[in-house]
Amino acid sequence: MNFIQNFTKGFFKENPVFVIGLGLCATLAVTTSLINAIGMGAATTFVLIGSSVLVSIVKKVTPNDIRIPIFVVMIATFTTIVDLSMKAWFPALSSSLGIFIPLIVVNCIILGRAEAYAFKNSIWDSAVDALGMGVGFTIALSLMSGFREIIGSGTFFGFPLFGSGYKGPLMMILPPGGFLMLGLILAFINWNRLRKSNKSGGAK
Amino acid sequence: MNITHLVMIAIGSIFLNNFVLSRFLGICPFVGVSKKLDSAVGMGMAVIFVMTLASFVTYLVYYYVLVPYSLEYLNTIAFILTIAALVQFIEMFMKKNMPALYSALGIFLPLITTNCAVLGVAILNIDSVWADDGTHYTFIESIWNGFTGGVGFTIALVIMAGIREKLEFADLPESMKGLPIAFVTSALIAMAFLGFSGMKIM
Amino acid sequence: MDIGQILIALVWIGLLGAVFGAILAYASKVFAVEVDPKVEKISGILPQANCGACGYPGCSGYANGIVSSGAEINLCSPGGKDVVDKIAEIMGVAAKDSVAMVAYCACNGTKENAKNRFEYYGPKSCSSAVFVSGGHKMCDYGCLGFGDCVEACLFGAMGMGEDGLPFVDDGKCVGCGACVKACPKGIMKMMPKGAKVYLACNSKAKGKEVTDACIVGCIGCKICSLPKTTPSGAIKMNGDLPVVNYDIEDTLTGAKYKCPKGCFYDKGDESKSEDQIAKEKEDFKAEEAKASEAAKKAALEKAAAEK
Repeated sequence: MNFIQNFTKGFFKENPVFVIGLGLCATLAVTTSLINAIGMGAATTFVLIGSSVLVSIVKKVTPNDIRIPIFVVMIATFTTIVDLSMKAWFPALSSSLGIFIPLIVVNCIILGRAEAYAFKNSIWDSAVDALGMGVGFTIALSLMSGFREIIGSGTFFGFPLFGSGYKGPLMMILPPGGFLMLGLILAFINWNRLRKSNKSGGAK
Repeated sequence: MNITHLVMIAIGSIFLNNFVLSRFLGICPFVGVSKKLDSAVGMGMAVIFVMTLASFVTYLVYYYVLVPYSLEYLNTIAFILTIAALVQFIEMFMKKNMPALYSALGIFLPLITTNCAVLGVAILNIDSVWADDGTHYTFIESIWNGFTGGVGFTIALVIMAGIREKLEFADLPESMKGLPIAFVTSALIAMAFLGFSGMKIM
Repeated sequence: MDIGQILIALVWIGLLGAVFGAILAYASKVFAVEVDPKVEKISGILPQANCGACGYPGCSGYANGIVSSGAEINLCSPGGKDVVDKIAEIMGVAAKDSVAMVAYCACNGTKENAKNRFEYYGPKSCSSAVFVSGGHKMCDYGCLGFGDCVEACLFGAMGMGEDGLPFVDDGKCVGCGACVKACPKGIMKMMPKGAKVYLACNSKAKGKEVTDACIVGCIGCKICSLPKTTPSGAIKMNGDLPVVNYDIEDTLTGAKYKCPKGCFYDKGDESKSEDQIAKEKEDFKAEEAKASEAAKKAALEKAAAEK
């Protein structure tokens, strides 16, 4: 597929969180505010691109049976780079994302893309795919955290929307709110898909 | 051995900061394996086993290899290497010596390697500092944290599986069937577990 | 930029990787599981339904069981005689006969026959309904009709009848027993494929309690188990409910016609007309009458001869 298709498929059609269902741990945990979401998305995108490109470069010389541990170590290296960089240059963001930055290494999206795409495609295609998936992941995170932050704490990017005395449902930025938001967004996507297929599939 | 610390770890990892419902570690198997009660119990047992052993080995690797050579920043790489090797080893060992257990739990083991919960508990063991005396977790406390974390995971998973089995017969709107209702259910379970917050032991 | 630090990092991580790699390589030799080629072959001929009827975890589990722990080769009911013969060939043993079993529903509590104690509005599943005071049927042992058994059947051999009772297609039933496990009341039971007559009641109660709940329920009168009715001894009473021993060859026609409630169901009747069924009943009664006349005559002659 051409560049545009390859790049944009990760946004909606093959969105890693909502369609493929990977990377759920991070989605639920860091989406308490938009800044966290975008920070996490950027970090994950960096690791994604780095590891996909590296996997694609060495794909010809990697022995098949031990490829998974090799991928994992490569991903871990990039994750450590991101972790240390964020601790140095964005310490506030790093401490609010906490344990989930080192946990990028076990984010199924990265290993999934390495295994499913980067191992079998050219370096340029892998890079574009990784970037697209990373952006898609960030879109998903932003959607979740946008709703949670606005409803739960009444702010948007930290700017209070409803005045400083906003006492909204605090639950939305607590764990139950994460599950609830994800469930409702998935339900909406299902509903949309069913509506489209009913329209095109004829009368029911 | 500080018994108070051990009790606090147990209550913390199972109820207050449940690995799945509060810390969001291990979500993928949580929604993937919780459709039937039997597979949920099997997965839970496998996770307890791996989390305990992983805590054991990663503690040793951290304090006897990384710290003496000032290589703490390499903990992500070292831990993931350790965990991957450990799970592979367990799988081989079980296949040969405990075939019955292997056929019950074996298929879940590869799933556990990239489980956030295992790497998560390894990192938590290293990072956690006691509020009362400023020390890090000791060896026993780390292993205990791994074990109780796994138990908390299993409890949440079994509750989820039990509910999902009954949900099969519920009259749901088409768009809610499957994952959406599973997440809404998790939200309600997580809310229930929120009720444990504020529990004090001393 | 301390080269020393970089070198130490490389060395130690490399060492860690090398040590783990070595341990794993060693482990893969020590813990190598030899797969007997026979297991592969047997696994290949098994039906792969993974139904568990053999008692092993799935078809591969059974293949392993046969080769390594000497399991009986005739445990696969879905496979049938074909599979048993092939396994025998591979294992080099004589093939044994396996009796094909089919499932049946030991209840005749249709919507017309059996009364309800209350209206049930819960989840439409037998396993859920049974939690509400044992279900909505007045008979504690009766079929609730929500079809957990039909759901459990992996072979499409079951359906739910209009009358509220499940039916089994003998042609498709392989005797795996999934429906037996699924029924919370233990109403689904197994019988040999060739047998025709079975007891269509599961009620361990007796007398008025049964007749109040269901017009075709077994009242525990014990007539079917009498030597006069079933001389072969194929029917024995377990409390107030008869149990049929299918190992004993018996057409069970005595029990079928003599049961005052008509609890015994004859699968053979499904292909006969109403007239034919009635005629056969008349014939049976006539035979009985003749036999009792002959017995009376013989007894009189004997008494006369002794005098």
